[in-house]
This record gives sequence, C-alpha cells and structure tokens, in this order.
Amino acid sequence: MATSIFGIGLSGLNAAQASLASTSHNITNSANGAFHRQTAIQGTQDPQLGAGGFFGKGATVETVVRSYDRFLEGAVLQAQGQGSYLDAYNKQITQIDNLLADPTSGMSPALQTFFSGVQDVASNPSSVPSRQAMISQANAMVSRFATFDSRFEQLRSGVNSEISDSITQINATAKSIADMNDQIIASLSSDSKPANDLLDKRDALVANLNKLIHTSVITESSGSISVFIGTGQTLVIGNQSYSLKAAPSTADPKDFDISYQSGGSTTAINASNLQGGSLGALLDFRTQTLDTVQNNLGRTAIVLAQTFNDQHRLGQDLNGVAGQNFFNVPTPTVLVNSNNTGTAAITATNTAVGSLTGSDYRLQFAAGNWTFTRLTDNTKTVFLPAAFPVTIDGITLASPSGTPLAGDSYLIQPTRTGSRDISVAITDTAKIAAAAPIRTNVPLTNTGSGTITAGTVNSPPPQNANILQPVTLTFTGASAFSVTGTGTGNPVGVAYTPGANITYNGWTVQVSGAPAIGDTFTISPNTNGVADNRNALLLAGLQTKNTVEGTANYQSSYSQLVSSVGNRAREIQVQSDAQEVLVQQATTAQQSLSGVNLDEEAANLIRFQQAYQASGKVLSVAATLFDTILGIRP
Amino acid sequence: MIRISTSMIFNQGVTNMQARSVELAKTQNQLSNSRRILTPSDDPIASARSLEIEQSQSINLQYQRNTASASTSLSLSENTLTTATTLLQDVKTIAVNAGNGALSSNELKSIGSDLRARYQELIGLANATDGNGQYLFSGYQGSTKPFAETAPGTVAYFGDQGSRLTQITASRQIPVSDSGGDVFQLVKNGNKTFATAATGANTGTAVISPGEVIDPTKWNVAGNSKNFTVKFSVDTQLPPVTTYDIVDNVSGFSLLTGVAAAVTGPYLRTYTDAGNISLKTQAPPDTNATPFDYGAQLAVKGSPATGDTFTVKASTNVDVFATIYSLITAVETATDNPAGNAALANKLNSAMTDVDNSLDNVLRVRATIGSRLNEVDTATSSSQDLVVQYQSTLSGLRDLDYAKAISDLTQQQMVLQAAQQSFAKIQTLSLFNYLQL
Repeated sequence: MATSIFGIGLSGLNAAQASLASTSHNITNSANGAFHRQTAIQGTQDPQLGAGGFFGKGATVETVVRSYDRFLEGAVLQAQGQGSYLDAYNKQITQIDNLLADPTSGMSPALQTFFSGVQDVASNPSSVPSRQAMISQANAMVSRFATFDSRFEQLRSGVNSEISDSITQINATAKSIADMNDQIIASLSSDSKPANDLLDKRDALVANLNKLIHTSVITESSGSISVFIGTGQTLVIGNQSYSLKAAPSTADPKDFDISYQSGGSTTAINASNLQGGSLGALLDFRTQTLDTVQNNLGRTAIVLAQTFNDQHRLGQDLNGVAGQNFFNVPTPTVLVNSNNTGTAAITATNTAVGSLTGSDYRLQFAAGNWTFTRLTDNTKTVFLPAAFPVTIDGITLASPSGTPLAGDSYLIQPTRTGSRDISVAITDTAKIAAAAPIRTNVPLTNTGSGTITAGTVNSPPPQNANILQPVTLTFTGASAFSVTGTGTGNPVGVAYTPGANITYNGWTVQVSGAPAIGDTFTISPNTNGVADNRNALLLAGLQTKNTVEGTANYQSSYSQLVSSVGNRAREIQVQSDAQEVLVQQATTAQQSLSGVNLDEEAANLIRFQQAYQASGKVLSVAATLFDTILGIRP
Repeated sequence: MIRISTSMIFNQGVTNMQARSVELAKTQNQLSNSRRILTPSDDPIASARSLEIEQSQSINLQYQRNTASASTSLSLSENTLTTATTLLQDVKTIAVNAGNGALSSNELKSIGSDLRARYQELIGLANATDGNGQYLFSGYQGSTKPFAETAPGTVAYFGDQGSRLTQITASRQIPVSDSGGDVFQLVKNGNKTFATAATGANTGTAVISPGEVIDPTKWNVAGNSKNFTVKFSVDTQLPPVTTYDIVDNVSGFSLLTGVAAAVTGPYLRTYTDAGNISLKTQAPPDTNATPFDYGAQLAVKGSPATGDTFTVKASTNVDVFATIYSLITAVETATDNPAGNAALANKLNSAMTDVDNSLDNVLRVRATIGSRLNEVDTATSSSQDLVVQYQSTLSGLRDLDYAKAISDLTQQQMVLQAAQQSFAKIQTLSLFNYLQL
C-alpha cells in the first residue's frame, strides 16, 4: 500500500506542479491581449482493483486547454473589422471636414469677394482700380479652387500610399499565417495535444488581417486554416500564401487598384468586392467621398467659369469690343484604359454645364455598340457608332477617330479637374465687358409718347454679327412700324404691341406707350459707352442665379458639398463611436471567458500550492508508514 | 458567473478616461474659439445653412455699399440741378426785368452780357463731372463731354439716353444718372402744345400771347395741320378797322373761307385788342363750307399793322441753351422804337414761357431724383435691419451658448476626475497585496 501512497502523492505533486505552471503562465501573460487563459485539466489515474474494491491511483494531467469560444471570438473579429473600417474612414474624411471647416479659408469667402468685385465694377464701370480689383479677386478665387484641388490630390496620393502599405501588411500577415499553419500542423502531428500558444499567435494574426480587410476563415481538419478575401480569392491555404498587389489602375493611373497574384498570373480585383477593414475604408472613401467632393467642386468651378463667360461675351469692353472669355473653362478628362487594343480616340466636351452631374462616366465598346455608364448610379445608355455626336448629362462625345475594338473602355471625368484647371483668361482691365454693345435712342423730334427700353443682348454668345448695325424703327401707323438696318431684312408693317419684345440682329428691345406716326426709335452701337454697367449688373446677378443643375447657385452648390461631407463625416463618427462600444462589449464578453483575472490566479496559486504541500504531506505520511514497517522488530 | 479579466479593468478605465478627455477637449476648443460648430460634421445642416446666410450677408453688405454710392451719385446730380434751377430762376428774373419797357437798348445789351455769363454757366453745369471725372449727364458715355457749343447758340448733345443703374436690393436696379438730353433738351416750347411767335418783319406793336388749348382732343383731330399764320390787315377808314385771317400753312387755304387765302385784306374776322382769336369756326363772319374746331385760342394785344403776321405751330423740343440764347439775341438786338419794343416783348414772352418750361423740366427730373433718393434711403435702412437679422441668425446657428458650454465643461471635468480617482482606487486592488506567499 505504501508504494501506492507514494505513487499517489507523487502524482499529486506532479499535477499541482502542472497547474502551478499553467497559473504562472497565465499570470505572466495577463497583459497579452491575444492570450487565452490556459488551464491544466487534471484527471484521475485508472483505478486498481484491490481487496474490497477499486482503489484510486492518484491524479494525472490530461491536457492543457485554453478558454476559447468560437462565437465570442467571431463577434470580436467582426466588431474589430468594422471598427477598423470606420476608424480608417474617419481618419480620411476628417481631413476634408477640417479643410471645409475654416470660415476664413473656405471657398465661400473667395466666391463672395469675387462677386463683390463684380458689383464694384458695376457701380464704377470705368474705374480702373475697380476693374483691377475684380481681376485680382478672380485670381484669388481661382487659386482658392486650385488649393482645394491640390489638397484633394494630396489626399488621393495619401490614399494610394496607404493602400500600398495595407497590401504589404496583408501579404506579410498572410505569409505569417501560412507559417503558423505549418508549425501547428507539425505540432499536431507529433502530439495530438493542442498547441495553445501557437493557436493564440495565429488567431492574433487573423485578427490583424481582419482589421485590414474583411476575410472568411475556414478551419481545416488538419488544424490549419484557410483564409479567403473578396469574392473568394484564396489568401492562405495550408502552408501556402498568395499575394495581392497595388498598382496604378488601368482605367485611371492616378488611382491604385488591387490585383491578385497566383501562379504567375495577375487578376484585377474590383474595388467594390474588397469590403471592410481599413483597406475597404480607403477604397470606399476614395469613391464615395474624395471623388464626389473633387468632382462637385470641379463642377462648381466649371459652371461658374462657363456661365460667367457666356454673360461676359454678350457685353462690350472698355475698348468697345465684344467681351471675350473671362475664365478659361476646364475641359473633361478622357482616360484611355491601358488595356485597350483599338485605336479609337474619344473627345468629350462640356456643352451644357447646367446639366453636369458631378459623376464620372465609363464609355465602353462591345458587340458593335457603345455603352455610356454613369458611375454614381450605373445608369447605362447604349448607342450605335452612327449616333455620334452624343450628348448625355451635358457632355458631348464627338465621333471618335480611329477604330475601337470590343472591350475597349474609356473613363470620362467631366468635372474632376475643374477646380485645378479654372483660370482667369484676361489680365487687361480694359477687357472686362461691363457695358452692353448697343444703346437705344428716342429722337427729340418724336411727338408721340413712345418709349424704348435700353435693350438687351440675346444669349447665347457669340453676339450676332450684325449687332452693331444701326437700326431704326419707324412708326407708320398707330400699331405698325417698319424696320431699317443691315441684317434686319428691312421689314415693313410690323405689328406693334406695347411692351412686346422686338428682336433683330441679336438684341431685344421693348417699345411702349403710344408712338405717333413718323416717330422713330434707333438702336445703335454703344460707342464710348464707358459708364454703361448693364452687363456688369447681369454678371453680378449670376451670383444668385440657379445655374447648377437649375436648382442651385454657385454658393449653394458649394454649401451642399460642405453639408454632404459634414453629414457623411458625422455619420461615420457616430457609427465609429457606436462601434467602439460594440468592440468593447464583444471584447469584454470574450475576455470574460478567456481573459486572465489576477485575483483568480492568485487564489489558484494558493490552491495549487496547498495541493502541492498536501501531496508532499502524503509522501511524508507514506514515508512514516514505511518507517513504521521498517521499525517493527520481529 | 461573470468573470472579468484584469486587463479589461485597465482597458475600460483607460478608454473611459480617454472618452471623457475627448469631450472635455472639445468643449474647451469650442470655448476658446467661441464657436459651437468647429467642423461641418459637428452640425452639417447648420454649417450649410450658415454658408448660405453668409452669402446673403455679403450680398446685403454689397447692397449697402451700392446704396451709398447710388446716394452719392444722385445727390451730386441733385446738387447740380439745384444750381441749374436757381440759374434758370435768375434768368427768368432777368428776362422779366428786360421786359419792363423802361430800358434802353444799351441797358438791354448789358443784360445780354449778364445772360451770356448764365448761358456759359449752364453749359458748365450740364457738363458736370463726378468724383471719378465721369460726366454726370452723358448717359453711358461717361468720358464723353456731353454738351458743346457747335455754333453760337447751338449746343449739341454728344451723350446718349442711357441711364446708369445700381443694384440696391435683390430686385431693384435704380437709375443713378439722368441723360443730359432728358434734362436739358426734352423741353417743349410754347404752351407745350403749340408755340406762338411774331414774325420778325412785323411793324405794328401787337404782342401775341402763348395761347391755350381748350380741348386737346380737338387739337389732335386728324386734319389739323398744327401750322397756322394769323395775318392782319388794317384798312384806311377812320377809325381804322383791323381784320385778320387764319391761314393753314400746309394747304395755303384760309381756315375762315375754306379757299386759298387772300394775299391782302380786309379779312373776315375783325380784330379787337386783347380779344380771343379762336381756332374755331365763327359763322358769321366765317364762310368756310366745313366748319373747323381745333380746340385752341390765343390773344393778340396792341395794334398790329397791315401785313403783320404771327405763327402758331405745334410745340417742338427746344433745348434750354437755345432758349437762353434766344433771350440773349432778343435783348442784344432790341431797338428803341415801338415796333422794336413789341418785337422784344414778343421774343421775351416766348422765351420766358420756354424758360418756365425748362425750369419745369429740371424740377421734374429733380423730383424723380428725390424719389429715387428716398427709395435708396428706404433700401439702406431695410438692409441695415437685415444686417442685424442675418447676424442673429448666424449667431444662433454657429455661436456658442457660453452658459451651457461652461456648465458642460465643469460637469465633464467632474466626471473625468471621478473616473481618474475611481481608476486609481481600483487599480490598487489585488489579492496579491494580501497574500503572504
């Protein structure tokens, strides 16, 4: 019996020692977030049949388990992935939010100052300082647009380099997971006991990967895990990992696209299929926020430049010449996909700036048809090559030169470079067209009460070739007049309605009152009309005109932009705050099972110490027993 | 049983303290910027709205500047025209003096030189410029001198009828200039319907009145040539009987007989001194087959001589310079005899009527300037109201409620302190502290 007591005591010592080792391991790893608390599971040794029954043979350590719950871990993984997505998005959008925030450096003071300049010219049309101020303020506004654009481009290249970094990290992590798979398979094949600490390490790697990009993980029977991303691209299988690559997009070299490399071949992965994690956030931020903001600000610049030019060209400058373009209007960018095989060259022009949407477009040739896709909502327009020139959403596509081949595609960015490319076209103060090119005159010899308005120039520009031809309206009756002047066709007996529009040679006037027979009204060139401010007033009036999509003026299209960014940023912040709580809850639940509580470990330390001491006591009792036997003197 | 891991106690403590610190920092930032909205995401709707209001505010400020400049321009015109009014009134006084009949031709000549000075002064006023050297009354052609004497007594207008406008409210562009043509040229002569004048060759002492329109509809009836001559004839009886005829200058027919006018008298109607000469059939003595009625009458005073004629013509526009110049010629060419006096009286009469008309016209323009100035004042005061309104709306949207922010700050400070103190307490709790291992 004494031998068995020895054996039992010894097994107790070993078991207590094992538990003490686990407890110490727990205590030392208590600050490691990836660590799962381990417990040495003690069991009884198989009993031995003795006299009177089965006698226990002591304790044994069956295995060491880690406190691990697949569902709790999954919840943490999910919450962290989403949290990382929101954090990354928040980090990016905050930069735009801050950019738009400053009330002094935003776009609106520049717009307002420019239009104040226009109003000043309207008040003092012949004043050179006023004119100079208007040009300077236009330049200041244009450079404000450019500053915004360069900031957007910085953000874009920042996004690109972060994408590259993320891809490097993803590749490295995938490689590590594959290595861990290898080690875990090896440890399992040599001993069927779980390699808890290796599993912890691999789990931590998966968690890190999941913060970068959303993954699906499947545990194989061999104990290895397989990791998939996107639409099922394998990142890790067994001890094999595959890599992703970030490179300039074939559609738009300014943006990095992600491709998947396997077996020497490279396949592009559609950005919309890479969801979640910080990489997903970068891709989403780029398409949802950065592109939209840059396009919309560009659109404001283009609409401003074009509508201002249109009005400016209807006027007359200080030299008595028809107004020319005040701004250089940015043109759409057409990017040829680098994979195109055909030779077709596409040109696009913004022909109706009021209809521009701020979206980018893809033009694709396939099966003898062209397909024009608005990328914001995937609205497709299909047309035959014979249909060129085609105008959609204010963009006119000219008939392409060269021959397209099936699969060729083009990315059209009508407004992307708007805020970069807008510039002031005139430097000479005399070239501001504040005046109208015509004026009207009622001769003193008229005897009737007829009056004539100052006259307006018909849009759109250019001005009618005969606008400067003097024209005379001569009343031949109480309700009829004849018209004489080059370009009018000299009609006779034109019916007179008081206040109705009379339009010839690209101008419109109204005559009202009761002209007497023989009364004349003349429309003549506005020679020396340096104090005339009619066109300047019309230019100033553009500030509050709904020129953007017919619903917004320049300022409100900008404030819509601010509001949409502000709303998105707020939404992301709120979600991010909420997600933080979710992460914390999921982690608390997971830690509640798997985390180390030092008080608990302290108690365990005492418990196993006492067990060890007790087992020692068993040995000492066994020794005493043995001594008792030895001490019997027969 | 709920377990809690030791690291979670630390993590949560730290996370919570961080969250409180973020809140505290934000409130502090709001306080130091005195802005409730630090970035658009703090309140996207209010941010966008405040941008819109900023634009309205800036446009309103612009309108204020515009009203100030409109007010200056209008006042400048008004001042110039006030001076012109005084000048025309002086001219009228001088003309009345000249007509009192007691002055010799030499005295009249000195009056003439006085008038010449006024004439030049008026041309100067009509060419007035604003602070920027732009002519006030040249229409759109601000740098073109509007009035210049092209020949003695003929002042031509080189401006146009354009009216410079200033935007004073969103919906109102107010004219801030008046065309010189409108101010100085658009003046009908005579009684504004027709003008009477003595022919230069008259030898009698008769003076014609400006005449009056009794019924404008009749005057404007079709067939009225509005161009007549009243011819006088004095017979040789004792006492002599003076008769007159009214001749339509266009047809050459006598209105009274309805046939070609007789060259010499006696004529059908008998003249009475200061009696009405009516442009209406008076049968008898008129004999014309179709009666006429042009709804007008005039009077001749004094003694016309045979062959004396007076014209009655539809009013035309005579500019104020021509009017004054005709006064000058009248006084400078006056002769010291009864016929000369009558000629002077006739000329002074028509010139004075025209000066009156010019004065009326200048006053009319001044009245419109006055009402525009009123409008500008109203616009200014309503835009001042708007300034306050926009300011208060903007402040409501963006500005910080200090009382709330400070109370928030205190509360957040307290919460952070509590979090820190409780963390400090909890983190010292450990079973290891009590174990004697």
